Amino acid sequence: MSVIKIEDLTRDYGEKKGIFHVSFEVEQGEVFGFLGPNGAGKTTTIRHLMGFLRAKSGRCTIDGLDCWKDSDRIQKRLGYIPGEISFFDDMTGTELLQFLGKYRKSPSDTRKNHLMECFELNPHVKIKKMSKGMKQKLGIVAAFMHDPDILILDEPTSGLDPLMQNRFIELVEEEKKRGKTILMSSHMFEEVERTCQRVGMIREGKIVALDSVEKLREQYVRPYTVTLATPELAQDFAKDFGGVSSGLRVTVTTKQSLEDIFMHYYGGEK
Amino acid sequence: MMNWTLYKHEMKGSIRLLVIFLAVITLYVSVIIRMYDPELIKTLDGFVEAMPEIMAAVGMSAGAASLMGFMISYLYGFILLVFPMIFYILRGNGLIAKYVDKGSMVSLVAAPVKRRTIAFTQMAVLCSGGLILLIYATGLELVVAQSSFPGELVVGDLLRVNAGLLCLHLFIAAICFLSSCLFSDTKYSIAFGAGIPTLMYILQMLANVGGAAEKAKYFTVFTLFDPQGIVEGTASSIAGAGILLGGAVLLFLAAVLIFQKKDLWI
Repeated sequence: MSVIKIEDLTRDYGEKKGIFHVSFEVEQGEVFGFLGPNGAGKTTTIRHLMGFLRAKSGRCTIDGLDCWKDSDRIQKRLGYIPGEISFFDDMTGTELLQFLGKYRKSPSDTRKNHLMECFELNPHVKIKKMSKGMKQKLGIVAAFMHDPDILILDEPTSGLDPLMQNRFIELVEEEKKRGKTILMSSHMFEEVERTCQRVGMIREGKIVALDSVEKLREQYVRPYTVTLATPELAQDFAKDFGGVSSGLRVTVTTKQSLEDIFMHYYGGEK
Repeated sequence: MMNWTLYKHEMKGSIRLLVIFLAVITLYVSVIIRMYDPELIKTLDGFVEAMPEIMAAVGMSAGAASLMGFMISYLYGFILLVFPMIFYILRGNGLIAKYVDKGSMVSLVAAPVKRRTIAFTQMAVLCSGGLILLIYATGLELVVAQSSFPGELVVGDLLRVNAGLLCLHLFIAAICFLSSCLFSDTKYSIAFGAGIPTLMYILQMLANVGGAAEKAKYFTVFTLFDPQGIVEGTASSIAGAGILLGGAVLLFLAAVLIFQKKDLWI
C-alpha cells in the first residue's frame, strides 16, 4: 500500500522553472531517496506534501488524505526536517522542544532525551547562538521526538559532521526496521545507498529516473571481456578484478555507484 | 480555534513592547490629567489662539470646559492613538509576516494545528495586547482623575469614549494584521502595515487644521472616532464607532482567510 502518493504534480514558475508532471509513490515501510541537484524541484515537491503549497495541477495525498486540505490531520503522524532550518531565535533548544511538544499536544520526554543523547546535543543554548550543525541536530530531534509514522526529510544531514551523519543513517535504519515510511531528499549518495530501497531522481523539475537502487545499478552494469596470454594469468586476473574466467578469457563487470548513475543523468549534456 | 501554547508564547513576546508603552501612557496620562486646571487651560487656550494650526493638528482645541473635554483634547488626539498604533504595527508584523519571511513559520505549520487556528491565535494575541493597553489607560485615567479632581469626571462618559477608542484601535490592528498575512516579505508587510495607518493619521492632522485641508477627513478612518460626539451621544459618532468595529471584524476575517489559503514558501 502506498502511503505517499504524488500524481502528475505540476507547478510552473515560468522560464522552465518549477516542477512538471511529477509522479511517484512511497510504499508503507519504505525508505525512498529523492535525489537531484540544487534547484531541481525537490523542495518544491516536498512543500506540496507538507501542505505549504497548494497543488495547481495534479494531486498529492498521504494516507489517502489530501496534502493541502487535510494537512493538519496528516501532520499528526508526520515528522519533518526542513531543508533550511529556522526556529524561534530567542528560545533555547530546551524551550523550543518543550514548546513544540505542547504545541503539537504530543509531549514525549523519554524519546526526546534519548535522541538528544544520541546526537550529543546540548540544548541549553539560545538558538541564535547555535552553529548550523547544532540547529540541524535540534531539527532532527524535533522531527523524530513525537515518534511519527511518516517522515519527510529534506537534506537531513546537511551541516552534520561525518560521525553524526553516520548516527543519522543508523537512526533512519532503525526507524525503517520499525516500519516507518520515509521520504528523504539528499545529496549524500552514501546515505541514500545505505538506507533507501528506491530512489527517484529529478532534473529541471522532471522525474528522470525512478526505480530501486539495485535495478538502477543493473542498468549500468558494463561487462568487459579480456583475453590473456595464459590460463594462469587469466585466473589471477579474474581473482584480482573479481571477474569470471574461462580459459584465456575473463569477463569483468563493473558495478556503478549511485553517484556515477546520478552523474550520468545530470552531468554534462543539457 | 485557539492554540493556548502559542498564545502564551506570543503574549510573552509582547511583554517588552507592552511595558514600554504602558510606561509612556502612565507618564502622559498622569501628567496631562493633573494639568487640568482652569487657570492652565487659559494658558493652553492661549497657545491655541497663538498657533491654532499646530495645536489643532495634534487634536488639541480651545474651550475644553469639563475634565472629559480637556482629556479628549489633550489625550485622545495623539497619545492614546499613536502609541497603541505603533504597538499594532510592530507586533502585527511580528506575529505572521516575520515568521514567514524568516522561515520559522515552518515549526508552526508543520504540526497538527490548522492554519486557521494559528491565524486566530495570533490575532487574539494582537487584540489582547491592545486591550491591555486600553484597559490600563482607562483604569489609570479613572484613578488619576478621581484622586486629583474628585467627582469631576463622569465615569460613564469615559467608558463610552474608550469603548469608541477600542473600535478605532481594533480597526488599526486589523489593517496591520491583514498586511502581515498578505505579504510574505517583511519589507512589504511593514510598508503597508505601518504606511496606511500613519498616512491616515497624517491626513487626520491635516484635516484638523481645517480650511481646504479639511477634505482630507474623507480619506482617513480616524475621523470615524469622534470622542466629543460620543460624550454628547450623537448618532453619527455611534455609527462611526460601529463602522470601525464592523470594518475591523471584516479585515480580520479577510486576514485569516488569506493566511489559510496562501502559498507558503518556507
